[in-house]
Amino acid sequence: MSISTTDPGLAGKSSTHSPAVLDFRGVSTEPSAFFDTPLWDVSFRLSQGQLLLVRMERGRFRLPLADLAAGILEPADGAVEFMGRNWQEMAADYASAQRAKMGRVFGSQGWINFLGVGQNITLAQRHHTTRTDTDIEAEATELARIFGLPGLPHRPVSGARLEDLNRSAFVRAFLGQPALIILERPTRDLMPAILPPLVNAVRIARDRGCAILWTTSEDLVWRDPGIDATFKCTMFGARMNVVAEEK
Amino acid sequence: MNTFAQVGNFALNGWREICYLSGITAQVLFVGVKPRYWTRPVRAEFYRQILSIGIDSIGFVFYVASAVGIVVVAQALVWLQVVGQSKSLGALFVTVLIREAVPILTNFLIIGRSGTALTSELGNMRISGEVRVLDAQGLDPFIYLVMPRVLSLTVSVFCLAVLFVAVSFSSGYLCSLLLSPAIADPGTFIYSIFSSLNPVDIINFLAKSIIPALFTGAICCAEGLRVEASITEVPPATKRALSRSVRALFGISALVTLLTYV
Repeated sequence: MSISTTDPGLAGKSSTHSPAVLDFRGVSTEPSAFFDTPLWDVSFRLSQGQLLLVRMERGRFRLPLADLAAGILEPADGAVEFMGRNWQEMAADYASAQRAKMGRVFGSQGWINFLGVGQNITLAQRHHTTRTDTDIEAEATELARIFGLPGLPHRPVSGARLEDLNRSAFVRAFLGQPALIILERPTRDLMPAILPPLVNAVRIARDRGCAILWTTSEDLVWRDPGIDATFKCTMFGARMNVVAEEK
Repeated sequence: MNTFAQVGNFALNGWREICYLSGITAQVLFVGVKPRYWTRPVRAEFYRQILSIGIDSIGFVFYVASAVGIVVVAQALVWLQVVGQSKSLGALFVTVLIREAVPILTNFLIIGRSGTALTSELGNMRISGEVRVLDAQGLDPFIYLVMPRVLSLTVSVFCLAVLFVAVSFSSGYLCSLLLSPAIADPGTFIYSIFSSLNPVDIINFLAKSIIPALFTGAICCAEGLRVEASITEVPPATKRALSRSVRALFGISALVTLLTYV
């Protein structure tokens, strides 16, 4: 089954009982220098606890999917809804508050250089919540250990090892129990050691109702039975084709 | 396009830019008075900018203020004594330094030292994708980057202007004691300064310190965040920020002088 302008594709396949966390409706984007490929008429609906695994084409790793899901990129056509509301219809303050419910592993350049790694990790939680710093750091430290770090890193970003930064990205993404986690090629430079803790963390997040959007270019991830994706899609040019879905 | 059209275009673009910057400044003030926007990271960023713009500039301002004091105050003290007009000392200092020179000089120093650094920092953040990362995490770049920078620059300029006044008068007076031992005692000197000050001078000093600093912050942040794709855009953005800030400084200072003294 493939997604096209005539085929609702995944749009109607998810559970109709639980509310959609993320809803793409006929989304298309313009070609841009910031992305390797635009999107054309992409529709899917991710509900609580569901996982969409997207396999990218070789050499086309920069997709607008994550920015559309986060509402920081406006589609040329169609609509993206998060928690039942269209990003383009949200007030700026409300949209910012909604992004607090997301965690994300960025495909590239995901760090603020004038902050330390630990400050980067806890930045969103400290901005959007009234949790104490102690509480936030305790949760971040626990997550850091799950993802193979000895504790919460405090080095400057420029002085941190690439592997530590990549592991710290998971800590930031899973911190605060978000409703949606976007993983953009999260296992690059860390395979295969990162896969078991990551799959486990994803399973725990899904069990508490978090939706996951995971893009990958790696065969090992695509074929891993432990990931148990609800939907598996491949990118073919600007289109997203469904190759498998959970029955 | 003919000459008239070009002139018209230039005037319209200038007017649009003034409205745009006024909008940014007004929005900063509107948002800045609301406690809910001052989250922990925003406060931390404000303090970091105060340290970088204000505290780190103290030594530099102290040096320049000392030199200005020696140049202006010392000469005035000596020659007013010669012509027997030492009672005009306070009025002269208030007119030359407090009304005009100190606010302009302080703003000028901060534009050169910190304004350009602000523009290049934000420009580099745009190029490296850091602004996008902040946005994706729900940290509005206006709230987290622009507001703390504009307000910290304004607070810093005002405080440094007060420091400038104190240091320039002190250094000038001390220097003049060396040049002419018959100079008035410190009490008379200070009294002559304060007796020449009136409320309009205070308003003028505040307006010339604060308003240009607000616009400088808005201009430098706007130019930095306008950088789009390439690192080569950062130097021209920095140059534009510098020239526009200086133009705004002198324009606003002239306007305030006209409004307060004419």
